[in-house]
Parts: sequence; C-alpha cells; structure tokens
Amino acid sequence: MTHTLHRSGNPSSLEQDYVVFAIAAQGFNSEGSIPKFEQFANIALKYNPVNFGDMKQGNVFMMEKEEILKNFKENSIVHAVFTDKDTVLACLKEIKEADIGLSIVVSGLIHDTAVACKSAGTAPHTVEHSLGIHGATEKLPSQAVRDISTMCGHGMVAFSLVEHLVDEVKKGRTSLEKASQELAKQCVCGVFNPARAAEIIEKLL
Amino acid sequence: MHINPDKCVGCGSCVPYCPMRAISVTDVAVVDQDECVECDICYRAGVCPVDAFELPVLEYPRILRQVFSDPLVSHPGTNVPGRGTEEMKTNEVTGRFRRGHVGIAVELGRPGTGTRLYNAEKVAQAVAPFGVKFEKHNPLTQLMVDENTGKFKEDCLQEKVLSAIVEFDCLEEQVVPILTAIKEVAKDLDTVFSLDICSRTREDGTVPSEELAKKAGFTPSLNGKTNVGLGRPLAEEE
Repeated sequence: MTHTLHRSGNPSSLEQDYVVFAIAAQGFNSEGSIPKFEQFANIALKYNPVNFGDMKQGNVFMMEKEEILKNFKENSIVHAVFTDKDTVLACLKEIKEADIGLSIVVSGLIHDTAVACKSAGTAPHTVEHSLGIHGATEKLPSQAVRDISTMCGHGMVAFSLVEHLVDEVKKGRTSLEKASQELAKQCVCGVFNPARAAEIIEKLL
Repeated sequence: MHINPDKCVGCGSCVPYCPMRAISVTDVAVVDQDECVECDICYRAGVCPVDAFELPVLEYPRILRQVFSDPLVSHPGTNVPGRGTEEMKTNEVTGRFRRGHVGIAVELGRPGTGTRLYNAEKVAQAVAPFGVKFEKHNPLTQLMVDENTGKFKEDCLQEKVLSAIVEFDCLEEQVVPILTAIKEVAKDLDTVFSLDICSRTREDGTVPSEELAKKAGFTPSLNGKTNVGLGRPLAEEE
C-alpha cells in the first residue's frame, strides 16, 4: 500500500514532485488491460517525465523504455514522474479525454491536484493523507536523507546509499546527475524523482 | 541473501546498498542473516564485480522476509505486486471504501528502518478491540490466527521485514479513538511506522478522513494520493 505516499519535504520542494500512475482493479477490469496500459504510457511519455516505470518490470534507469512498453502485464502499475503541476494538468486532461478506463492516481500536493482535476473535467474520488512518522523516530537519519529516500515508498533507496552518494559527490568522485540516477535505479517501480533528488543533494554540498 | 566467500574480493561496493546495513566486510563481505530482510536490493544493484551474490532457496517462515520486502513479488491470491493492496488506488471501481467508512494503514518499519513482525502484532492487537475490518488481501492479515484479537502466528513474530502494513477499514466515528490507541501503542514499538488515512470525498470535495485526523491531533500532509475517478466500470454507489 501507499508506495507513492509519505514523500517528505518542505512545500517548495514538494511542488516539484508529482507521480501519475495507472492501475487495473484485479478481478474487476484487469482482463484485457494491457493495451490500456500502453495507451496510458504513450500519453504520459509525451510529457517527458523525469522517471517512468512499471512495478512488474522496472524503470528507465534499469532498462530500455521500449522494452517496458512492450511487456506490460494485466497487473502492471505504470508510473510517470513530473516536476510541475502544469504538466500534470496537461497530461491528466489528455488521459481523461482518452477515456482509458484504468484507475488513475495522482500523488502530489493535494490541493493542486484537486485544481488540476477540475480543469481536466474530473474530480477527486478518494484521497489519502500521510499522518507522519511515529514510534522509535530516533532511529531515523537527517531530514534531507529522508526527503530523498522516501521518494521510493518500498524502501529500495537505502539511507546508507543516500549518505554514501552524497559523500561521493562531495569528494568529486561522481556527479550530481550520476548520483541521482543511481538512486533512481534502485526504485524499481520508477516513482523516484531524480531531478528533485539532485536539488536536495546540491543543497548538502 | 548469501555472498559466496570463495568469489567475494572484499571490495565493499555492495555495503551502502543494503537498507538494513546487514552487510559488513572483513576479508570478504558477509551478510548478517538475522538482520537481512531478503529484499534482494544488493543482488539487483548489480555492483558486485565478481557476481558473488547467490539467491538462497527460502522456506517458511524465512520466506516471509522476501514477501514483505521485495516489491517485485506479487502475492498469490491478490495478484498485486508490492507488500500492500490496491487500497484506494482502484476505489472508484472496487467500492472498497464507501462513504461513512475510513481506511487506515500503519506501515511498520517505514521509512527505511525495517521491523520484526511482533511490532505489527502489537499494532493489530491495539486496534482489533475496536472491531476494525482488517483487509483480507493484505499478506499481514493472512498471518493472523484471530482477527478479533489481532493475534499472529507465533512462528512468524521474530521475522524481520523491510516493512509490513496493518491495514483496515473502520467507521468514521471510530477514527478518533483508534488514532488515539495507535499513538499509545507507538510507545511500545522498537521501530518506526508511517501512518496514513483515506476516505471517499464528499460531494463538495472535502475529505472526511482529513478532518477526523485533525480532530485526533494529527497534522495531515500537504501532499498525498488522489484517485481521480477515471477507472471504469464504476462501483455502484451505496
């Protein structure tokens, strides 16, 4: 549950972090859904997402985009990551007009998403909020490390990897771009936002 | 996960990739089997120059670690990849969360910390007395021996996983006492958890679960997930 929820950060950083994804309801409309995933993907890719992937296959930092497009399954979950609300609105409008029939979820600032829905001719049906992190929070690393790591909801981007790559960039052993792409590669679903990660790392240098 | 000591050259390239910090290097790299959650991240990272990683054949209860930690594994019975369920993502089609109902999920071990399953049992036992409806398709619910008490199978409690989600549906009027109980049980856990709440929007676009969370003393996030209602066919309205 919630693989794109619980992305932490300050409001100005979160303004650059949207995931739009398509999913079929297993046992309801999953049969024959593969061409619908292709339709969704082709629309989403027109808007140049900074990441793209399928939970059943992997992301564009692990494999070729064309390979992903050819191998959707009926239980795929197909994601595209964007860095601004205007692009999300334009993409959503086209998805709505295409009347694909898959469930579409937008993960990002909730108020801005509601505005985008209205402009696209739809409305929020169900909304999910994070209520934060609780329990033994003394085990957590710095806020900046969390802001990067939580962009993979399955925990594939280890705190230690973020710390290691920040250190490598600081020492000039790798570039910001390569570090953020290496982080994105670990998040198999393709919901990690490498552009936002690069911005956060840059502030740590 | 197993690292073949005859192949490993002790370069340490794999060490930072492990979210549980379970890999250490002396002469060669070794995996602390008690801390390893079988997420396969180290294997998939592809950074080992000599292909020393070997995927072990896992048996119950250790295989639970992989089920809850590797998102590429789909659950038999639900066909949903990842460690959770479709929850609100397909709600306009499945009608899972109806008006008047609220979905709550407590994801133990998230972010990036991991959890023993006994923490999940503690949370389940804290909310079960409210008569919540645990999500039947959630793999954690399938480990319960009694959904009325939230008791888990004894032999799974010490297993460590990347995260596990106690996921349930309740009535709106139960939300405040349940969230209060969750705040209480948080003090007894040796890990973190991420908490979330969802509901169907009202006709005017407001979100009941957001209001109830505030009433219970929580601050709902500015960002979150919105199902934009485009799935078809639509579930019948109650």
